[in-house]
Amino acid sequence: MADSTAGGILTIETIDLRKQYDGGVEAVRGLNLRVPAGSICGFLGRNGAGKTTTIKMLLGMTRPTAGSGRVFGLAIDDLVSSVAIRRRTGFVSDEKDLYDSMDAGDLIRFTARLFPKWRADLEQQYLRRFEIPLSARVRTLSRGGRTKLALLLALCRGADLLILDEPTSGLDPAATEEVLQALVAHVAAAEGTVFFSSHQIAEVDQIADRVAIIDKGRTVVEGALDDLRERYRRVQFVFDADAPAVPDLLAQSTGIQRVRRSGRVLSVLTNGSADAIIDRARALRPVSVDVATVTLKEIFLETVTAEDSGA
Amino acid sequence: MLWQKSWLDTRWRFLIGFALMTCGAVFIVTLYVRVRGLLPQLSALDPGSSELGRIIREAAELQKTYRGFIWSQWFRQTPTQTGTLFAILLGSGGLLSQGAAGQLFTLSLPVSRARLVGARAATGLAEWAAMALAPSLVIPLLSPAIGESYPFSTALVHGLCIFVGGAVFFSLAVLLSTTFTDLWRPLLIALAVAIVGGVIELAVVGPTRFGTFCVMTGENYFRTGVVPWGGLVVNAAIAVALLYGARVALEHRDF
Repeated sequence: MADSTAGGILTIETIDLRKQYDGGVEAVRGLNLRVPAGSICGFLGRNGAGKTTTIKMLLGMTRPTAGSGRVFGLAIDDLVSSVAIRRRTGFVSDEKDLYDSMDAGDLIRFTARLFPKWRADLEQQYLRRFEIPLSARVRTLSRGGRTKLALLLALCRGADLLILDEPTSGLDPAATEEVLQALVAHVAAAEGTVFFSSHQIAEVDQIADRVAIIDKGRTVVEGALDDLRERYRRVQFVFDADAPAVPDLLAQSTGIQRVRRSGRVLSVLTNGSADAIIDRARALRPVSVDVATVTLKEIFLETVTAEDSGA
Repeated sequence: MLWQKSWLDTRWRFLIGFALMTCGAVFIVTLYVRVRGLLPQLSALDPGSSELGRIIREAAELQKTYRGFIWSQWFRQTPTQTGTLFAILLGSGGLLSQGAAGQLFTLSLPVSRARLVGARAATGLAEWAAMALAPSLVIPLLSPAIGESYPFSTALVHGLCIFVGGAVFFSLAVLLSTTFTDLWRPLLIALAVAIVGGVIELAVVGPTRFGTFCVMTGENYFRTGVVPWGGLVVNAAIAVALLYGARVALEHRDF
């Protein structure tokens, strides 16, 4: 995997990170992740792919079974380092779980006291923008209201890194857009790093500049979004009879992610050289060859389903 | 900061327990007015020479003095029963049983798990101290109102005994709460341990120097006037060990 992060400062780095729970379930199986400082990295994967477990390991909520991980250069499995990591990190969980028994105002004051770099100016800004009622009990807030409060609590920590686990889940399109714009504006102003998991590929496409796709606990795609768009191509061969079974000469080509055969059409997804594949396939005498760019959604679908079929 | 959260989690248990214990102490003091009126009839009591008779005679003897009445009706009973229940209630719950109500939010804060347990234990022990000491101190405060006196120092020593003994059950509940993910199992297991332990200690083995319930009732102090430092230290050490166990268990817990 080519990587434009080489030599840059990494905010998050994991090497062969693994997590096996007591029941024997292996949630993460050798995850390699590199998130450069200042980037917005979308973390994609199907349900149960290991996204939340990875996030929990990064924040010291769950201990890795093997491998290593560093955030700001600090080991994630060290108790002291973990506190230092959390001091510089804002977090929004999937469930947006907050203290239901507190008022929104009390919860904000409670959180502010734990973060020395708390941004009171941002607090006022987001209170106005998100229209959070300070006197309302957290348990009485709508899902959108909880999400906005959780986001305020994360954004105002003065954090260098935001880790957000499906921050827009359950929100209506208007609220989703508001949250995404707040994230982009925050990163633009504070030059922090954002690492967020999502099932909404369009969201990732909209605000991320990097992406990591995880499937069954392993990284299957990782890199700058522009690089991925540049590298990934779909090469489609049409034959005058049924397309041949996956030919050896294609299988030998580097970068092939997925080959599909349907009637007279042979479709190849590659992140290597399309020209090299076309050269090799010329011997099969296709009647036409077409090279097309692919979307992030196609890359996601092809890579995670390719894992299923063992391609 | 963290104590604020612990206080919010436990305040109703504390306030109810505090009110119950304090009202109980007030009731016991005022009850003595009636008991005092019945004292002349005690001399006519002949319970016989059997074991039961001996127990009845001993109980009757205790009522003859205000100090004996207070010990037998209050310090020997309510704190070891109601008090133990509330000590366990205060220790139950916490991070693991929070479920969706802020568990991950708490874990994302820049505090160690040792500090989380520490804040929880400190808040709970402070509440338990108030629950153990305040009702005890109500007794010397109210006694002049019924024409009796009770030394503050004696009430304070009994309060200390109740606090240290109850701290063992509080700490046991805290430890169990770092093992089980619901509120009920730690509560019920700690209660079962207290009941079985109490039966073994008070009914089978008999009064001992270091037994938790014997320390709680302050029986040795009542009978000899000597502060049971040995029992206090041993039980305080057990409570500290249990809290340390809770810290270790929480530090190694995956969420």
